[in-house]
Parts: sequence; C-alpha cells; structure tokens
Amino acid sequence: MNIYLPIAEMSANLFLFIGMGASVGFLSGMFGVGGGFLMTPLLIFVGVPSAVAVGTEAAQIVASSVSGALAQWRRRNIDFKMGTILLAGGIFGSVFGVEAVKALRRVGQFDLFVILSYVAMLGVIGTLMMIESINTIRQAQSGAATAIRQRGQHNWVHRLPLKMRFHRSKLYISAIPPLMLGIFVGFLAGIMGVGGGFIMVPAMIYLLKVPTNVVVGTSLFQITFVTAATTILHATQNHTVDATLALLLIVGGVIGAQFGALAGQRLRGEQLRFLLAAIVLLVALRLAWSLVAHPDELFSLTALGRS
Amino acid sequence: MGVGRLMHRWTLAVLAIAALTGGTLVGAAEAQRPTPPQPPPASEQPASPAQAAPPPPSAPPAPAPEAPSLPRETVHADVSTRRIAVTSTFSGTGIIVFGAVDNSRQTSAESGLYDIVIVISGAPTRLVARKKSNVGGLWINTSSTTFTSVPSYYAISSTRPLDEIASDDVLKSSGIGFDFVPMTFHRSARALTAAEIKEWRDAVVRLKQRDRLYQQDEYGVAFVGRSLFRAAFDMPATVTVGAFETRVYLFRDGELLSTYTTKLDLEREGLEHLIHRFAFDHSFLYGVFTVLIAVGAGMLASYVFNRNKA
Repeated sequence: MNIYLPIAEMSANLFLFIGMGASVGFLSGMFGVGGGFLMTPLLIFVGVPSAVAVGTEAAQIVASSVSGALAQWRRRNIDFKMGTILLAGGIFGSVFGVEAVKALRRVGQFDLFVILSYVAMLGVIGTLMMIESINTIRQAQSGAATAIRQRGQHNWVHRLPLKMRFHRSKLYISAIPPLMLGIFVGFLAGIMGVGGGFIMVPAMIYLLKVPTNVVVGTSLFQITFVTAATTILHATQNHTVDATLALLLIVGGVIGAQFGALAGQRLRGEQLRFLLAAIVLLVALRLAWSLVAHPDELFSLTALGRS
Repeated sequence: MGVGRLMHRWTLAVLAIAALTGGTLVGAAEAQRPTPPQPPPASEQPASPAQAAPPPPSAPPAPAPEAPSLPRETVHADVSTRRIAVTSTFSGTGIIVFGAVDNSRQTSAESGLYDIVIVISGAPTRLVARKKSNVGGLWINTSSTTFTSVPSYYAISSTRPLDEIASDDVLKSSGIGFDFVPMTFHRSARALTAAEIKEWRDAVVRLKQRDRLYQQDEYGVAFVGRSLFRAAFDMPATVTVGAFETRVYLFRDGELLSTYTTKLDLEREGLEHLIHRFAFDHSFLYGVFTVLIAVGAGMLASYVFNRNKA
C-alpha cells in the first residue's frame, strides 16, 4: 500500500517505513541506544531527501526518548540543574546546526556534509566499540580480570571557573564543560538528526564524573527537549519535517523496541557491542562508498518552487 | 453559428463518451455528425508548382486555391479528468486526451493524412541543476546553474516520431519535443557556451525522464475514426501539483494546421493538502504539532507496553 509523503514529496510503501522504524527500533531496544544515527542514513538510502531525513528523525527521537525520560524522572534519576545547563547549550547548538543546514542546502553541499559527518562519526564510534568488545571478549576468554579504570580525582575540568554545586550528581564543577557538551550535542542534533546520547553519556561519565545512575536520565531529559526544539526549528527554518513519515517511523519504532529489549536480555554485553559495532561500521562503509564510487548520474536537480 | 457551436459541443460530448468507453461507439458518433464535404483524392490537394510559380506581380496575395471549396481543418480536444486530487494514497494517475479533427479529409483512421502531437506541460518551476566532479577521490557538486522556468511535467504523444511529422524549425517554434522544451536560464547563466547550455538542458530532461516526469510516446496518439483520436498519459505520484496545459497540434505534410489548448488542474486534497499547507503556512505551529504527536505516541506506547507487562 503506497502512501504519499507530503513534505518528502515521494510516494513509497507504507510498510517500508514502518519496517524501517521497527528494525531500527529493534536494534535500539536491544542495545539501549537511540537509533537516530542508524535511521537517518537508512532514510537517505531509500531516497528521502537528506534534509528531510534529518528534520524528521529529530521528531522520531522525541517519541523514543520521552517515555524513557519520564520513567527516569519517576525514579528521580535526573539531575535537573545539570540537565538544564546541558539543555540551554543544546538549544543554542541546535539553532546553530539548523542554520548551518539552511546555508549548506543553499549552496548544494548539505548531502556531502551530512554523509561526511556520518562516515566520520560512525567510523570512529564503530571502530572504538569494535576494539573494546574484542578486548573484552579476549579478556573474558583468557580469564584475566578487567582492569578497573583508575578515576583521576582532578582533571582539567576541575580547574575551570564558574563552579557550581550539582546536588543530585554530588559534584562541584564548572558549568562550562556541561554547557559546551550541550552545545556540541545540540549542533549534532540539528545537522545530523541524532539525539547524541552516544557522545553525551560517555562524556558525562568519563569527563564530568557524573554518577552512572544519573547519567542516563539526565541525558534523556536533555535529548527529549533538544530534539523537540530541533523539530520545531527545522519545521520553521527549512520546512523539512514530514509529520506523516515521522508517525510511520514512530509506530514501527515503538513496536520494534519492545522486541529488541527482549532479545537484548538473552545476549551477553560484549557480543551485543560487537554486533552493534559491526552494523555501525557497515553503515559507515556504505555511506563512504556513495561518495567515492563513480555516480551513474553526475547531475542532480533541486526544486526551488514556482516560477 | 451559435447552433453550429452547440451542435459541435454535443458531438464532442458524444465523442468523449465514445473515447472513454474504448471507442466502441465511434461509428454511432460519426453518424450523428453533419456530413462534411467529400474529401477529394489526396493527389489533387496541393496546387501544382507550375500554377503557383508565376504570381501576378501587382495582385494581392492569392488565397490558397482550395480555400473556397474546402473548409480548413481544425482540431478540438478535451481531457478525461479536469481535476485530479493528490491524496495520501496517490500513486500516480492516468489521463486520456481525446479530440477530433473538424473537416477531416481522411477516408479512414488508417489513411495517415494527419499527424497529431499532444503536449501536456505542468506549471513552470524554478530549479537548480548541479553537476558533480571528482575532487580528491570524492564526487562533489562543483558547478551549478539556475533555471527560472522549467515545466515541472512534460509529456509528448504523437502519431509517429516527431522528426517525420515536421521540421525542427516548426517543432522549435511551438516548443514540441525534448530538444525544445521551453526553459529559461537565470541571468547568471549568460556566460555559458551553447554546448554548456545544451549539456544542462539535456541533464534536466534526462533526470526528469528518469523520474517519469518527462515522457514521450512516439506512437501514442491513435486515430479511432476519420476524425477522432485519443492518447493516454500517465502522471507519476511525484508530479508537482498545479495547473497543467494540454496543447494539441494538427499537422498535415509537415505544416501546422491548427492548435487547441485545454487546461487541467492537479490539486492536493484531503489530509496531504492540509499537512502541506499547515507545514508551509503555519510552520511554527506545525512543528509544535509534530512534537506533540511524537510525545503522545511515545507516551501511549510506553503505557500500552508497560500495562501488558504488569
């Protein structure tokens, strides 16, 4: 059954998009990741204009993170002070990212930019995850104890000015690092259609030393609001949010995530991470290939509207 | 004259029904028409060169010798659907153009005396064409040109290949054929050479053809009687909505005898229309609405699945 997407201006099978939502939802449920970094490239592969893929994916991330954020809030796992600083930075970064999308589209380089960003981001993350999971599997096999990371008591983060007390996180640190982190993640949300949890979570744990139980809730809080703001910004600045497409992806995504979470309980952590790393690297390779392979058609057209 | 017009309208309506029902009523429809003067054998038609060669020097331009006895042929046409709605399940549509040659001198549908060319063109749009080239191993958009007007849709159907119907000059002056699609470049393209202009034009036609927005059917128009003809067109789902113009050209021996223009509207309707209007006219509210849908769907899903677990 074909459906016409009013903003993407394409007609495609209804079940293709629900299926894509379900597949990525399954993976995100299984691995506990947001899935934006897989969904945006997939949408581009099936022919959705890259700017529409980015704008619409922001809306889907709102749906997939809101229930998690609420659950964490009920368990009092959100540091609202830290979250607010991350959020303020995030919205600023998102405004900047959405304007960058607008400017890059005008000069016809957005497709290139988005693909290069994804190749770099997925390449680095996939490789790091792959190395880590292989090391963990090896160590588990050889029976050696995993080295416990020695947490430095003070790093450069502690020497910055504007120190604040974060009661929920039991931290007394400068507001600058969370603000910068928020800006960076918000920029990525605007320009790539990702939530940015895969960067925010490790940065909060290793750089800011936020307790692990607060990290997930606080980052979900930030992601929900930043992607909501990003959706509205893309809708007003670029007209690239397809509500119909978003709804299809959301429906597929919530169903897939439930089954993914069940499947994830049966697999071991390091195997899961190895699998996810392999998927991430494959997507990166496929995207890189689209830049280096000789295109069938050198020309492309972009509609500008009525004469 | 008024009665004649009415009569003609009525005839067309009957022809329309005939065309839509697959041409089975053609014979009956033809019978209703006032009998046109019997066409002379084809060989008599053109004035002999010897007669035409020495014109009286002072005389005003003489009317064509056949004019008083044989009324000039004209063409009329209509489309099967004047308004097409793009809805959520729109997957393209078919349109039938049917028409008739008045004062046809053909003895049968197969005589091949006339050539019909039908061009359907969509609303002109502005667009940017970009060309990639290899920069350090990567294929990157390196040059671009802007068109201020390009038909969003352009479909040609004819009784036989265009180059057999008329000369390039005739086709060019009417904008018939992929080589002569009316396109205007932005003034920044003034510095382009003729070869570059052709390359950009060809790229637009090629890309539009790939999306089935530009189409050509060299044998798409068929006569189903002495004067009645029809052709089928299809419009893909990606077609740009707006006003379409259908132009019908009647040729005989490479000469353009008559043209006829009719309109057709493609509109967005239903939910798609609302969403599209909403997204462009009230973009902030549309963004908020999309976010609310996402929040609602996310919360509903967690409620449903958590209840199932409990």
